[in-house]
Formats: sequence, structure tokens, C-alpha cells
Amino acid sequence: MSYRLGHSDLIILLLAIATMLILSRIVAELGKRLKLPVVMGELLVGIVLGPTILGTMFPEVFSFLFPLQSNEKVAYALDGIFSLSVIMLLFVAGMEVELPLVLRQGKAAISTGFGSMIIPFFTGFAVAWFAPEIFGIVDTGNNKWIFSLFLGTALSISALPVIARILMDMNIFKTRIGMIIIAAAMFNDLVGWLIFSVILSLSGNGGDTSSVGYTIGYVIAFGAFMLFIGRILINRALPWIQTKLSWPGGVLAMSLGLCLLCAAFTESIGIHAILGAFIAGIAIGDSVHLREQAREIIHQFVTNFFAPLFFVSIGLKVNFIENFDVSIVLIVLVLAYIGKVAGAGLGGIAGGLKRNDALAVGFGLNARGAMEIILGTLAYNAGIIGKPVFVALVVMALVTSLTSAPLMRIFMKDSPELKQ
Amino acid sequence: MDYTKLKNRPSWPFETIGVAIAFSPRLESILCEARILSERFNANLVLMHIGDRTRNKEHKLSELLAKAGIKESAVRVIWSEGEPVQTLLHLCKLNIVDLLVMGAMKKENVLQYYLGTVARKISRKAKCSVLLLTEPNKEGSRFRKMVVNIAESPKTSHTLNTAIYFARHNKSREIVAASEMHQPGLAMTMAEDSTAGEASRIRKEIKEGAHSMVNELLEGCKEECNIEIVEKQITGKPGYAIRAFAAQKKADLLVINSPDVKYGIIDRIFTHGMEYILEDLPCNLLIVHSRVNPAE
Repeated sequence: MSYRLGHSDLIILLLAIATMLILSRIVAELGKRLKLPVVMGELLVGIVLGPTILGTMFPEVFSFLFPLQSNEKVAYALDGIFSLSVIMLLFVAGMEVELPLVLRQGKAAISTGFGSMIIPFFTGFAVAWFAPEIFGIVDTGNNKWIFSLFLGTALSISALPVIARILMDMNIFKTRIGMIIIAAAMFNDLVGWLIFSVILSLSGNGGDTSSVGYTIGYVIAFGAFMLFIGRILINRALPWIQTKLSWPGGVLAMSLGLCLLCAAFTESIGIHAILGAFIAGIAIGDSVHLREQAREIIHQFVTNFFAPLFFVSIGLKVNFIENFDVSIVLIVLVLAYIGKVAGAGLGGIAGGLKRNDALAVGFGLNARGAMEIILGTLAYNAGIIGKPVFVALVVMALVTSLTSAPLMRIFMKDSPELKQ
Repeated sequence: MDYTKLKNRPSWPFETIGVAIAFSPRLESILCEARILSERFNANLVLMHIGDRTRNKEHKLSELLAKAGIKESAVRVIWSEGEPVQTLLHLCKLNIVDLLVMGAMKKENVLQYYLGTVARKISRKAKCSVLLLTEPNKEGSRFRKMVVNIAESPKTSHTLNTAIYFARHNKSREIVAASEMHQPGLAMTMAEDSTAGEASRIRKEIKEGAHSMVNELLEGCKEECNIEIVEKQITGKPGYAIRAFAAQKKADLLVINSPDVKYGIIDRIFTHGMEYILEDLPCNLLIVHSRVNPAE
């Protein structure tokens, strides 16, 4: 068997990528006019191009353009691109996590961060643990255990890019409330992805919980190494890279190279590659020597090439109409709102915020956006969740992102921090 | 102890200047600096030593005071024992010290930095303004070029007024009011769905926001100012950006707000804000404690 892509395979692969990129950009731009997040446009294109619409109406066109079942070589190539995309997305997500920001914001940010993590986590965990049948989970011990951990994590994560955009549009980014939301979202992302890496690793071991101690140990050891020693080495190397090597090629190649090295390392020790990429992103993004322009170039490259491919690919894998289960969607939505708003709200109040401000912070942090979708996709690929739960998570991510700003405005209408 | 006199006490004028005495080789220079500053500000001098009171030390101090041109009758010398940082902080409160003058190494070795030396620890915790002199000299430091960090904080107006007051009494020539522009997540947000026009509009708005903040602060200044104040916007992480700017500008004095949160070892590991400055002092440093609660 030849391992090279054939002439026609290559044409199909290029056509598929071009279709995904061009259509997702057009739809995202149209959606922008309606103030819809870009990720929504990208998902919509996936749904249209995937089994939900194109696959149902024109199955020949679908299987020609995206031969995920019929052409093994193209399927592998696409899978490789999608895997690379998610690694890159986690890398840039990590680049925006600023641990010092959480420390700088003090008690309010820390208690909000904890509250918005712990309460949604335990809400999700408890519901999944005591009523797994709602989500179609067969109670076989480890299955239930992993799914419960996953649902808790899925409900506690936030989406920094969406939140940052909402705060900027509301002109409250640099206010106290804005900074608390950003700091708490960073905290949620950091802890959430660490826990999720452990869950993925457990799932990869066939749910063997005896190795959980080792996995957690590896995660902590790798994180500590990168955030202490790795950060120091990066801080030493970056000024040299940015001045002595070609600009911006040098920093781009070295940063992305380090991301892939870390991803390969974590994958090789049994933790998912995303953790390596995420931690590498934190270590590089935290460096004071990383020029703003370099940061922007990396973001532009990943957000405009890899992100559309990844989000469109979601629609290619799942039939959203067939797997839309109203009861699961509603349960996930209710859990998401209650857990996040109550958790962040109580955390905020404990940190000294007024009730309405604390609720506004809760609704702000409730936006799950792209991060939730990435998390859901990885869990679906790993077999932790089925299609109906995956669809529910995608719907929840979109609904929470769309409702975040209007709900925040309601609770901030009397706040002096809301200028408009 | 009655701290009511300290509450809401403005950060300027400097009526009482405290000096921490450690009998280091630089003590004579620090005493000279303190004498010159007390003359410039017409302030009382309080010298504080934490440690044993021995005849040797008393004798040495008398000698050094004479060399520095300080009359023993004109200063109050306090000898106290205990943990240096807490005792010094306590004495500063007790004596209503407005400005504490200390010598500080420009850069400390890794171990010293993480464990914290007295000067750095005091800088993080003091309830009065602190002046760290990196190269104290017998002729007195010159503060010709000053950089003031304009942060978004209710403390900043006090800091700016104090800086102007300081500059006026030290015949400074230039004050640069530098604001750090840093928005976490901005690059990611703009990469996603901003056109070139939107991106430049957002950047312009951020710049204009910083500009109007500095203008408002300058207009609200209570201190008379006949010194040129130049406004500057710098990009980068807070603390690091101002440190790099002060070093690049070859400033004689960097003026910053006192920290809003209690700094500990974790803040040194995940360096941020003032820790970037303390890690490697770009020049002399004035930390203005405005006795204002930032949450108010």
C-alpha cells in the first residue's frame, strides 16, 4: 500500500480545505453584521457541509468533498490537520492566560475564580453521577466516573476570547468588574484544561483509575517544569530569537515548534497533546519579551487558518438534527446557567462585590464559546460522550455566548462602570 | 497605639523623613542624602536602627552624623530590637513618617530576591512612602529626570501630586507621565473578527483612553507645577514596561503607586506589577503610599 496521497486524493484534500476556509469566512463575515460570534458562522458552515444538510440532500457531493468514510488517505490527512488545529488553538488560548493578572486582581478575582470553578464542577459532577441515564451513560463504574468528571469540567470552563470581546464591546474591559471577569476566566481555563487533560488520559487508559495518581503527578510535574524552568529559558531565548533571527519568521517558527514539541511530549507520556500545547502557550505568552506584534501574528495565523478548519470539521462529523435531544440540551443549559452564575456570583460576593455586580460577573463568565466546543469535540473523539451530549454542549456554548452581554447589561444598568 | 493621625493623611508634604540605618558601608552616603532631603523638604529626620544598641555603634553613628553634617540634637535616633521589617514598619507608623529613605541594591542575587531583603520587603509593605536609593552619594542624588507611572487607580492622583511636589523641591527638569497600555486577550480578540479599520479604531480608543486619563489627572493636580510634564504611552506588561522605559529614558527617579495587594513569594515567582521593578531597579525608586483604599 502506498502511503502517499494520490493525484486525485490531493485534489480532494485541497478542495475540502479551500471550501471550508472560504465558506466559513463568508458566513462569519455575514454573521458579524448580525453581531454573531465568528465561531457560530464556522459551525454553521460545518453543519451545512456535513451530514446534517449536504450529506442528507446531496450525499454524493458530500462523500466526494469530505470522504471521511470512503477514502482512508484523505480522511487521515484531514484528521491530521484537525488534530494540529486543536493543538494550535490550545496553544493560543494558553498564550492569553496571565497568571499574574489573577494575583494582581486580589481577593475578588481569586474568590470569583474559585467559585465559578467549584460550584459548576460539583453541579455537573453530581447530576452526572446520580442520574447518568439522562445523558445516555451506561453505569459501568469507570464510565460514570469519567463522564461525571467531564461534565463537571465542561460546565466550569469559560471562553476568554468571547468574554474579552463582550467586555470590549460593552466598554468595561478595563473596569474593576471587567478585570475580575478576565482574571477569573483565565483561572477557569487553566484549571479546567488541567483537569480535562487528566480526564482524557484516564479515558485513554480505558478508565483505569489506578493510574490517576501518576497522571496527576505527570501533569503537575510538566506544568511546574514549564512554568518555572521553561519560562526562565524562554525569557532568556526570546530576546535573542527576536533580534538575531529573521523577523517575524524566527519567533514564529520557534514558538510553534516549541508548542509542537511540548504537545508531542505530553502525548508520549500518556497525557493528551493539548496539555503540552496549552502549557507551552502560557510559558511563551507570559514572557515580557514576546513582542505584541509577534503575539498578533501567531494569533492571526491560528485564528484564521486552523480555527475555521477545526470548527467546520465539527459539523462534518455529527448530524446535528438527528442528535438534537431537547431534554439533554435543556438540562445542560440549565446546569450551565445555574452553576456558573451561582458560583461566580457567590465567589464575587465573598470577594467583596455587590450583589448585582457579582451577578453581572457570573453572566459574563457564563459565555463558553469556542473553548467549550473544543472541549466537547475532544471528549466526543475520545468516546467520553455521545453525539446528543456533544450537540447539547455546542448549543450551550452558543446560547451562553449570545446571552452573556444582554444579561450582563441588565445587572449593570445602575453600575457606574457601564459607560454606555 | 493611636493610628488615627495616619488615616487619610495626604502623601505630601513630607514632614517627617525616616531613615533605616543598617551600619552598612553606604551608611554615610545615606545619611548625607537624608540630610539633603530633609533640608529640601524642610522635614524632621528620624533615624531608626533595628538591632543591638552598643557603644561601638553609638560611637560610629555619632561619627557618621558629624561627617554627614547632621547635628545630633536635630535628629531623633531610635534604637529598637526585633524582627527588622515589622519593627521598622511599626516605628514608621508610630512616628508618623511620611517618607522612609533606604539604600537598595540595583539588583539582588536570585536567592536574596526570592527570600526578600529588608529594603524590598519594606517596599512591599510600608504604610508610608518609600524612597529607595540605588547609588546614594555624599553630595546628594539629583532627580533631574523623573518618570511617573500613571496607572488606572484612585491612588495615581496622589502619586502624581507627590511626584510634582518632590520634583519642585529637588529642582527637577522633566517629568514624564507614562501610562502603560496593556489589555489581556486583546490580540486574540482582534485576530478573530476585527477588520483592519476596527483594529486600528480599537487601538486608537485605547490610546485616547490613556491620554484622557493622564489629562484628567494633570488637570486635577493640586500641586503647583512649573516643570515640563511630558505625556507618554508605553505598551507592555505593567511593571515591566515602566521599568524598561525608565531605564531607556535614563531616568533619575521612577515614581509609582504603592501596591494594591499584599505581595508574597508567589508574586515573585509569577512576577507582576511592582515586582518587575524591584527585581531590577532601573534607577532610584519612589513608592508613594497615598493611604487611599483602592476599593473605595
